[in-house]
Amino acid sequence: MAHFYLHIRNGSGYVEDLEGQELPDLAAARVQAVEGVRSVLSEEARHGELDLRGSIEIADGDGNILLVLPFKDAVHLRLDGTGM
Amino acid sequence: MIERHLLKLRARASVSAEEEQAIRDAVKEVRTYPADHVIIRAHERLTFSTLLLDGLMCRYKDLSEGQRQITELHVSGDFADLHSFTLKRLDHNIMTLSPCTVALVPHEHLARITERHPHLTRLYWFTTNMDAAIHREWELSLGRRTAISRIAALFCEMQLRLGVVGLAEADGYNLPLTQTDLAECVGLTPIHVNRTLKELREQELVRFKGSRVTILNWEGLAAIGEFDPSYLYLEPIPL
Repeated sequence: MAHFYLHIRNGSGYVEDLEGQELPDLAAARVQAVEGVRSVLSEEARHGELDLRGSIEIADGDGNILLVLPFKDAVHLRLDGTGM
Repeated sequence: MIERHLLKLRARASVSAEEEQAIRDAVKEVRTYPADHVIIRAHERLTFSTLLLDGLMCRYKDLSEGQRQITELHVSGDFADLHSFTLKRLDHNIMTLSPCTVALVPHEHLARITERHPHLTRLYWFTTNMDAAIHREWELSLGRRTAISRIAALFCEMQLRLGVVGLAEADGYNLPLTQTDLAECVGLTPIHVNRTLKELREQELVRFKGSRVTILNWEGLAAIGEFDPSYLYLEPIPL
């Protein structure tokens, strides 16, 4: 287990994760990040506005950024109208 | 020892000296548990109920991949699983969220209370109905409230419930929840909770930092949470 911090960077600014979470490894932290982004986007969809320009920065206890997950990588978007 | 429990009961109805003694006599054993310890597992056979004397606990259920939903928080003075007196097993788990001190009350002692103290029995019936009222309010949150409204409503609820047992000040209270615990209460993810807490902070409604909830604007917080305290039955009840 290791401590990971999942900071959010998007249009409305930077949300620092001060507390972090104990997780098995970086892959588990990425899963948390993906689920977190999807949860945030689902709320935005509810309000009728989706902003995919943000990202989650996964950092370790020393502040090193280990992985950056752009919001758009947490979802599959189909916008071209094929199959409609 | 049971002072916070008595504060909770007496906020709604009188408890006579005799009834108070009956509660004290019903306690068989006092135990302490560390934080994050499951004290009751779903479906285990129970012969006693757990009265929370000090600390913070939750009831929760989970799905096969470990996604946990906390269904109610319990504060000092709550009879956390009076339900098991009639159910004999719980359909959910009970876990400590902070170090907790609990009193174990054997079901046979509760049976004696029901036989000898009808008014106190009705008062305990009332408290389990109140748990149901809290569950309905959480259901409303999980099903219909927005993220910001869910967290606002929860912070309002805890201000009043902790206030009843003397554990809240006018401007806030200690709430030893991690952001993951909070996410599991309101059906969101830790990231989403973090972002929503920032919104609540920026709107100068409430701040949650280092296990402390600081209420910055009660009216504003209650408005955004559509918080109506009537489900907490804080008024005296003629029992």
